[in-house]
Amino acid sequence: MIDALLALVLVAPPVPRPSFLVPVQDTTKGKAVYVKWCAGCHGDGGAGDGAAAAHMLPRPRNFTGAIYKIRTTASGQLPTDADLLHAIDEGLPGSAMPGWRGRLSDAERRDAMSYIKTFSSFFADTSQHVVALKFSSPPGGGTGTEALKVGRQFYDSIGCRKCHGDQGRGDGPSAPTLKDDAGFPIFAADLHQSWRFRGGGTVEDIYRRLRTGLDGTPMPSFSDLVDQKFLTDQELWRLAQYVRSLSPAKPPEVRDVIHAPQIAGAVPASPDDSAWARVDRYWFPLVGQVIHKERAFAPAVSGVWVQAVHDSTTLALRVSWDDRTQSPDTAWLGFEQRLLETVAGDDSASLRAERWPDQLAVQFPHRLAGGAGGMERPYFLMGGPSDPVYQWRWTSQPRRAVAGLARGIDRFDTLPGTPAAQAVHDHGEWRVVLTRALAPSDTANEVPFDAGRAIPVAFFAWDGSSGEHGSRMAVSTWYFLALDRPTPPSVFISPVLAMLVTLGLGLVVVRRAQRRGTTR
Amino acid sequence: MRRYTEHPFWQAVGILLVAYVVVVWVVPLLPGSAIVPKSVVLQYMATVLVGVLIYVSDSEERWQRFKEPITAMLVEPRLRPVRSGVLVVVPVLVGLVAYGQVQTTVAAPPNLRSIHPAPPTEITFRGKAISLTGLENPLRQHPDSLPAYLADGKRVYYQNCLPCHGDHLDGQGHFASGFNPLPANFQDNGTIAQLTESFVFWRIAKGGPGLPREGTPWNSAMPKWEDFLTEREIWSVILFLYDQTGWTPRTWEKTGTGDGGRGTGHD
Repeated sequence: MIDALLALVLVAPPVPRPSFLVPVQDTTKGKAVYVKWCAGCHGDGGAGDGAAAAHMLPRPRNFTGAIYKIRTTASGQLPTDADLLHAIDEGLPGSAMPGWRGRLSDAERRDAMSYIKTFSSFFADTSQHVVALKFSSPPGGGTGTEALKVGRQFYDSIGCRKCHGDQGRGDGPSAPTLKDDAGFPIFAADLHQSWRFRGGGTVEDIYRRLRTGLDGTPMPSFSDLVDQKFLTDQELWRLAQYVRSLSPAKPPEVRDVIHAPQIAGAVPASPDDSAWARVDRYWFPLVGQVIHKERAFAPAVSGVWVQAVHDSTTLALRVSWDDRTQSPDTAWLGFEQRLLETVAGDDSASLRAERWPDQLAVQFPHRLAGGAGGMERPYFLMGGPSDPVYQWRWTSQPRRAVAGLARGIDRFDTLPGTPAAQAVHDHGEWRVVLTRALAPSDTANEVPFDAGRAIPVAFFAWDGSSGEHGSRMAVSTWYFLALDRPTPPSVFISPVLAMLVTLGLGLVVVRRAQRRGTTR
Repeated sequence: MRRYTEHPFWQAVGILLVAYVVVVWVVPLLPGSAIVPKSVVLQYMATVLVGVLIYVSDSEERWQRFKEPITAMLVEPRLRPVRSGVLVVVPVLVGLVAYGQVQTTVAAPPNLRSIHPAPPTEITFRGKAISLTGLENPLRQHPDSLPAYLADGKRVYYQNCLPCHGDHLDGQGHFASGFNPLPANFQDNGTIAQLTESFVFWRIAKGGPGLPREGTPWNSAMPKWEDFLTEREIWSVILFLYDQTGWTPRTWEKTGTGDGGRGTGHD
């Protein structure tokens, strides 16, 4: 046996090593990691055509072209090893690419990175020396009014608004025409959601994207404008700071319970009532409906902001979300068609772009569960035949809201009582206020909004211009709405009593100590 | 400075401060630990306080020295501002704590869920009765075809399971954050590593809606995969789950009585 092996080794011809391919690297380990963990999306040959690819937007990277969006190198240049490793380690927020740090070892990630480079001959050409650009540091005062004004000025003058829109929600006039180099539709980034920026959401990240551009996409590099002295480096930083200022300072944190304070006077029925500025807002992430046919693998709405108030007789719920279009919008029909052709669904072959409206559904249980804990509730995805849910459904066209009972995703029976609805579409954002009396007029079918208890609530959103309708939508799980009672004065009795008793005891202790001190 | 470090009273204060910092800020940094709940912090601090009191009252001399600053604070005319300060601050703190206790806020109800509820003995898969008791993955009887089944399982996983269960099979797909409970983490030793393949088949085929009440079926986003996948595709994806994570499925013990269910399959 050993002899046979030895013979094999001795007989095996030497492997020819072409001298022009230096350095020769062992990529077997990298290949093993890649095949096991990366190929499902990026494909065995690295062409971005793995089994999952057709369900994704943005599509997984095609490594054969060696074109990378997120780099620290000049426009049109290859990325550095550190750039590739950064994408592998941290993932690409807002896409399906996870961060692999903590999932694969340092060596495995590095080996996979080396292997990815073998898919393109560009990396083998060592005459091309890849260097990261030297970036300056951000000038101070980036959140001040003056700095943001300068940033805004260049946002307008260098044409950001053409794609990203006047208020930065990716709704500019050119947005519906955008494609990447592979011909796939691409959304101009919504600059109000920095936590979803592929290259990271800090001012430094944004500045780097402005300097390097996003290769393979319509997003150019603005380094040449700095070179041509159209704007200074500091002004480009101001632009980055302005873009950063459009998003919340921190990524929104998901909290379970929406607290609806009780306010004096009538509830604000208009979405732009100044009273809303004083009400806490809650973020709820929405994800694709991938539970029932037809599934939505790349939903358009990534989440909703919710505020609620009541005045002891009426509840007002304000839901706002980013949506580039006031659907139906004929300007986006071509884009919708390309989306439908790009993102595979359960029956994508038969899908044609149509003029669907935008929609929002707010869901409550049909009845509030009694009993210990009140844990039980209807199926979160629109209830079932025997456990219906009470829903408000708002549509952009016709512009109205109805109430009804859903018994599963396919069945919705409207009820006579409707919530009052007012809606505004403003520069890529829908703001909708729905109001209803706390006590239902139809106690058999409408849920009562009792103060002081956690009422389950869920949200669903459709973007008509992305072809979303029916079961193709973005969904949330159950959260809770709590109508707060004003703090009764009795709450203050025991703290005040406790304070008085403590103070009294303290005085007694001091008095006794002092008396003892003097008698001694 | 030395006057303070050697004084039992200031030592006691120092120990309490260090203990608080350790419990509140250092413990959560340790690998595998989490933020310490307030009630537990209180318990730790009470324990430390008792320890400190035992220490300072251990010898008569130390106890006298320990009491000195306290008595001074209560008695000495020059420390009058400190005395007044303490008399204000302590009652205010007590008041705040009392307010925190009586003030009511509405919280989400507890979500008590049985993670691995008892499976039925038999299910109906697209009209066909399948007995789960003692059931093994039928594809394992064809070792020659395993690579092909695995490849198909991988395809099924990436086209269907990935958005929630993720690239690393750890339940952190790009849709995972939208759901509660979070998708199952197959890398964890508490999921498929503890289950028989027949249990996994049941969970995949019937999904969230097929859970018994103790499994809170109304919250689960797990689809009923019999609507999408064939029996063979489900067995294939199960092969893939175990192969990709390196776990081996729990097997049915041979009890000899033909009753394979007793404490063998699942918890």
